[in-house]
Amino acid sequence: MLQGSVTSLEVFFLTLVFAVPLALPVAAGRMTKNKILSAVTKIFLLIIRGTPLMLQLLVVYFGPGLLCIWINKQFGTDIRLTWPRFLAANVALIINYAAYFAEIYRGGIESVPQGQYEAAKVLGYTKNQTFFYIILPQVVKRIIPAMGNEVITLVKDTALVQIIGVSELLRVAQETQSRLFSFMPLFVAGVFYFVMNWAVEAIFVRIEKRLAYYK
Amino acid sequence: MKKIVKAAVVCAAVVSVCFAGCRKQTKTNGDTSLSDLKSRGVFVLGLDDSFPPLGFRNENNEIVGYDIDLAKEVAKRLGAEFKAQPIDWDAKEMELNTGKIDCIWNGFTITKEREEALAFTKPYLNNEQVLVVRNDSGIKSLADMSGKVVGLQSGSSAQEAVNGNAGFAGSIKNQILFKDNVTALNDLEIRGVDGVVMDSVVADYSIAATKKPFSVIDEPLSKEEYGVAFRKGDIALRDEVQKILEEMQKDGTAAAVSIKWFGRDISVIGK
Repeated sequence: MLQGSVTSLEVFFLTLVFAVPLALPVAAGRMTKNKILSAVTKIFLLIIRGTPLMLQLLVVYFGPGLLCIWINKQFGTDIRLTWPRFLAANVALIINYAAYFAEIYRGGIESVPQGQYEAAKVLGYTKNQTFFYIILPQVVKRIIPAMGNEVITLVKDTALVQIIGVSELLRVAQETQSRLFSFMPLFVAGVFYFVMNWAVEAIFVRIEKRLAYYK
Repeated sequence: MKKIVKAAVVCAAVVSVCFAGCRKQTKTNGDTSLSDLKSRGVFVLGLDDSFPPLGFRNENNEIVGYDIDLAKEVAKRLGAEFKAQPIDWDAKEMELNTGKIDCIWNGFTITKEREEALAFTKPYLNNEQVLVVRNDSGIKSLADMSGKVVGLQSGSSAQEAVNGNAGFAGSIKNQILFKDNVTALNDLEIRGVDGVVMDSVVADYSIAATKKPFSVIDEPLSKEEYGVAFRKGDIALRDEVQKILEEMQKDGTAAAVSIKWFGRDISVIGK
């Protein structure tokens, strides 16, 4: 089961590391004045947030391969394309979480009153300076509780990657359970997820305290 | 710190009460299993409903199959209503032990470990664990799988067949576990795995039904027998079902069901 927990942790950290920055351009795309870009982003968010993550995992992993089979049948070609399941699992989770994070970022950015942009302009700040020195620090503070929520969900969502054959913790626990005819492995897995989320929560509480310097 | 200790004590207490409760239940169940079932009037069969031709969904989304036809007749002769309950194959023992289902009847292989935890009927069907490969893979024997990836259903006897065959298990690169055989075969099709180990009964039927470019390697990994599994304590019910199955074998019902699904009588009840 140790190997399973390591896989779960890898999926968790990889998703977090890539989804957190990736969500920023997505949020920007959603808020841009460019109508086409904003419409595309809206459709993207609608699809990702409107379909089950488990289905997205299946599509990301099986999609390219099935497409190849279809093309080969249609045109008599012999294209072979598959990617490792671990990579597919991470890509699917990163895309999904980037969509959710992006909406959290947007909420944070839009919660900063318009007056601050005007004040910054009067003081001679450029647009970039306004965003990075004045808006962003406030956004980070405001989105911490919502982000904590999502990150805790991510810990538990790593269990879904077993659908495409990645041996993460819950899959290993279920398999051990059915081999030993015992409930214990599932209980141990439950404790692991719980402790993991306990740690996540503790970290978020610390971050919140650190950032509460004006209160 | 005190709070944490308190919480831990409460958790431990709750858990121990739960476990104690479960144990008591299985004890009192004892041998009233048959009369309990008759008074309840429902015979609940647990299965993985993606296991053709033993138990699967037809076009109308009804659960059908060889095992289902046999079980329906058994339920009728028990004087109970028949109910097929799809379950997660990894959770089958838990479903059974918590009384959510009365038996596991779904191409369930009799193994030593399972016999220790469950009460099996005598075998009713023979089976082999076989390797399924893509036609274009060039794999012709088990030895050709050296360094390749094998897919199989998690919690199935295919896993035991692979691990029990030390030469084969040592030669392959790794095993990938899937929820069901259908997903494993999909993965084979898109070249995610190089071979799938599964029940020959299911493999033959699936390949014939889907016409996918797969073939079965003519070199079984292991020979097995299917049985119906009941809770360890439900001996009375197990014996009654065994008796009914033998009656069905005698009056030709079992043979008719076998011919319907396999084209010939391959049933081994009472043999």
